[in-house]
Amino acid sequence: MRARDEEHKRRQDGSNGPIMAGLEAASVNERTGRSASHTPWQDGERRGVSSLAVKLAKYTAVGGITVRNHVAYIYDFLLRSLFLLVILYVFLQLWTVTFEGEGTSRIAGYRFDQIIWYLIFAEAIIMASPRLSLKVEEEVKKGDIGYQLTRPMSYLLFHYSAYMGEAAVRLVVNLAVGGALGLFVFGVPDWGFGWVGYLVMAAGAFTVNFLITMMIALCSFWIEETWGIEFVYNKLLFTVGGMMLPLETFPETLQKVCAWLPFQTVVYFPSKMAVQFDALLIGKFFVIQWIWIALLSLLLALLYRKGVKKLNVNGG
Amino acid sequence: MSAIRVQGLTKSFTMKHKQPGLSGSIKGLFKPVVSEKVAVQPIDFTVEQGEVLAFLGPNGAGKSTTIKMLTGILHPSGGEADVLGYTPWRDRQRLAFHVGSVFGQKSQLWYHLPPVDTFELMGRIYEVPMNDFRKRRDDLVERFELGNYLHTPVRKLSLGERMRCEIAAALLHRPQIVFLDEPTIGLDVVVKAMIRDLIREMNREEGTTLFLTSHDAGDVEQLCKRVIVINHGQVILDDSVTNMKREYLTHKTIHLKLAVIPEQPLLLPGVEVVKQKGAGLKLSVNTVETSIETVLAYIVQNYRLEDVTIEDPSMEEVITHIYAKAGKEQGHESSG
Repeated sequence: MRARDEEHKRRQDGSNGPIMAGLEAASVNERTGRSASHTPWQDGERRGVSSLAVKLAKYTAVGGITVRNHVAYIYDFLLRSLFLLVILYVFLQLWTVTFEGEGTSRIAGYRFDQIIWYLIFAEAIIMASPRLSLKVEEEVKKGDIGYQLTRPMSYLLFHYSAYMGEAAVRLVVNLAVGGALGLFVFGVPDWGFGWVGYLVMAAGAFTVNFLITMMIALCSFWIEETWGIEFVYNKLLFTVGGMMLPLETFPETLQKVCAWLPFQTVVYFPSKMAVQFDALLIGKFFVIQWIWIALLSLLLALLYRKGVKKLNVNGG
Repeated sequence: MSAIRVQGLTKSFTMKHKQPGLSGSIKGLFKPVVSEKVAVQPIDFTVEQGEVLAFLGPNGAGKSTTIKMLTGILHPSGGEADVLGYTPWRDRQRLAFHVGSVFGQKSQLWYHLPPVDTFELMGRIYEVPMNDFRKRRDDLVERFELGNYLHTPVRKLSLGERMRCEIAAALLHRPQIVFLDEPTIGLDVVVKAMIRDLIREMNREEGTTLFLTSHDAGDVEQLCKRVIVINHGQVILDDSVTNMKREYLTHKTIHLKLAVIPEQPLLLPGVEVVKQKGAGLKLSVNTVETSIETVLAYIVQNYRLEDVTIEDPSMEEVITHIYAKAGKEQGHESSG
């Protein structure tokens, strides 16, 4: 009976998906011995429940509580997203002049309204991304990371859940503010499945953004300031990530380079899918995005393992 | 049965040294000068299940390094430790289910949310089944009298209320060992007493082993039966609190404010006037020679009293005494 339970558990653990598997593997010491279902409560109610469901509940609870916590900041976010309006107004003017100058109805395949909606979606993602590296850097420097490790949960998955929770709240606010502007200027858009495309791509986009930002943040195990690296990364998102301009507007050589970088998956993919939904293309985007997620998860796991080892040996 | 068993546990860190000046910084990049710093010398101790232990020492004595090794965050450089049957640094996650921690200066409650939300999260993190969780939560809410502000955002709670919630949050998963780090820091006298009561009760009713670090002599006196003092990574005292008090908590300070400037000097064995300014006096009383009661009775009889306060020596003073004594003994040993 017991052996069968174990086998069942193992099979379920195996179907964890690349990100979960990668991040789970990251927690040093966490995979030694039995799974985390060994609790004071185990002898009884726990037996029938799969450990995966319990684990999942753990991290969804983290996500849920972050959402609730950040709803308290909602006016803060609203105020901040007013800045979004300023940026969008500037771009609106810029693109009006550009379209007038070109004298065409489309530039690089985008209509005027599509370009502006593209910017609204792109900015919404960038401005919704939580300042993870500040938080983690603080935890590493002050040693709080140690206290986090005394809990029966993976440090990376904890932060991932919290990150996604916060990003969700901020994204909703940004979309409401940016969307209001879009509706005001262009009226109700017709994107078909664009919304679905955007949301599916945005989930992956924030995951990629989390993985890269977390890697940058974990560098604080070795270097004093990670702010500089984060600054560069953000500028890369602005440019080759496709925040300022859709990648189609770039020269061909640059487009080819961008296609091999992860940055496009954060901004360009979701924004493009929102305004020019394409069932075939989204499949391709999805695969590329998740290959990056798998790869970056692996890298993050390695980096984290090295960092925790340093913490274990040298106290951070 | 022992909850914690430590044998020859030791930890040293390698430290990089930077030479002064820019050239030093550049040299350091290529050829760093490293040295080894011993944070914890081989130490041995055992804590029985249900025991309340004070683990004391000045900053940098090796206290938190030891606690980090006992919770599995730090890997030791040598020695062994057994916490509830686990080797902490090998079984950190599994051990985590049985250990709770309260850090007076760090909060685990979510600042903008009511405590009840954090409680629920804790239940999930420690994988407590829903039914058990609710029972346990309601029990703790009742015992800690949290009912009134269970649904108030943490930012609106007073420090005392918050601390009670912190402790309740750490107990939801019925830990067998709780590490308490300065649990009463910054609290007023009434709240301190209440927190201590709760801590005592949890030890008595659930047999929880408590591992307490504090700079507050009151915490140690009122909560703990046994005390371990470490300094420079070495155990310099491992004794009962009663013994420690007998040996080191021998002096109390009395602050007096008299109605008139005293004419006759205060002469009692074991009482020394440390400071006098007009009608205000500061006395140091050796309680072994003369009890506080006797001194107070004498004062009331001979003077007109306006105000009086009695102070325990601070833990710092006690520990300084202990260090001084330990230092002397070591000195004797090395010279002998």
